[in-house]
Amino acid sequence: MNEEDDSTLVRRCQEGDRHAFEQLVLRYQKPVFNVALRMLHDRQDAMDVAQTTFLKVFEHLADYDPAFRFYSWMYRIAINESLNALGARKPLAGVGGNEADDGPGPDRQAEGEQTRRAIEDAVMQLKPELRSVITLRHFMHLSYEEMADILQLPEKTVKSRLYSARQLLREHLLQARVDLI
Amino acid sequence: MTPDRYLALIQAEIDGELDGGERSELARQLLADPATRAVRDQLHRLCEHLDEIEYAEPPAELRANILQALPPATVPLTRYRKSPPRWRYAALIAGLVGAGALVFETVRGPGPATSEMAGTMAAAGGPVALDTVSLGSGPVIGRVSLQRDGTGLSVALELAAEAPVDVLVVSEGRTFRINGLGRQSGSAGPSVVALPGPVVRGQAVELTFLISGQQVGRATLKVPVDR
Repeated sequence: MNEEDDSTLVRRCQEGDRHAFEQLVLRYQKPVFNVALRMLHDRQDAMDVAQTTFLKVFEHLADYDPAFRFYSWMYRIAINESLNALGARKPLAGVGGNEADDGPGPDRQAEGEQTRRAIEDAVMQLKPELRSVITLRHFMHLSYEEMADILQLPEKTVKSRLYSARQLLREHLLQARVDLI
Repeated sequence: MTPDRYLALIQAEIDGELDGGERSELARQLLADPATRAVRDQLHRLCEHLDEIEYAEPPAELRANILQALPPATVPLTRYRKSPPRWRYAALIAGLVGAGALVFETVRGPGPATSEMAGTMAAAGGPVALDTVSLGSGPVIGRVSLQRDGTGLSVALELAAEAPVDVLVVSEGRTFRINGLGRQSGSAGPSVVALPGPVVRGQAVELTFLISGQQVGRATLKVPVDR
């Protein structure tokens, strides 16, 4: 079966084809969930945000402007919903107990794994606007142009925030005595 | 401490955005200053670690939860455009139905007898329903009827849809099109279009419903053979 491109599926959704929307869910549930997970560091919250994101996409398909990339529009909703969820959190809630992954087994204590966890913790220490650029650049592997589309910021601002975020991460990890070499 | 200028160059290097001059400038600094080299190595390694973090699998129930939470089947899904006010649709329907008569008359050639009401609005009084088809499912719902008005035929369309519906009408080998029906969900009453010629027993009228140029339904209305 040929995979239809996003614009075809979106058009079919706009014509009332729910199967087309299901295909969009299948295609994007993983990246949308991961955007939310990297922003929130909590699987249950990320799932809630992913679900809300898709429902908003469905409800607002009539307003979708095809001049924009569909996934940019959807990721923008996911980022905004994640920021809303962060804003609703009580201070310090969510960073501890309910971690992004299942509890570490004995075979996951390797040095690389510890570094990864330290980096994820450091990302969570960033302000949300800096965390969002790290998420889009390093977890979603998007270009400056795509990030600017999603965040609705000038590319120059996106680049500046990314540089600040990386530098803060480096400093945080050095303070935590994480060996980056 | 590494000056901001070189921090920016290192980050641009990570993103593959250095030009030749900047690359040379950074290379000179790296050779001259071990601290800058250390910062560069740390930032490169940090970004490698960030890039290596893999996608987590979403919970298995996510897709089902999303699909279950969708609103019922009929949702307002229309193409992106600024919606004109409802009165404009009503005016459009009235205008198109009226204009249909003119177009049809022009296309079909020599003028009919004055008694032949071709493509004009049917007379208001006393139409007799000859055949009716209900459209109970799909993007277009409602009812279409073939009716006798005096000595002629007309089609009454009561349609509802979430987007404007165009209708192709084929009768006695002639085709004409009505644009922009169905948006008013019955608030404007049925649209009635007169067909040319007298009532012919067994005559079929084919209707094809289109949304955004795509066929979304068909219906066939027939004059009973005993009429």
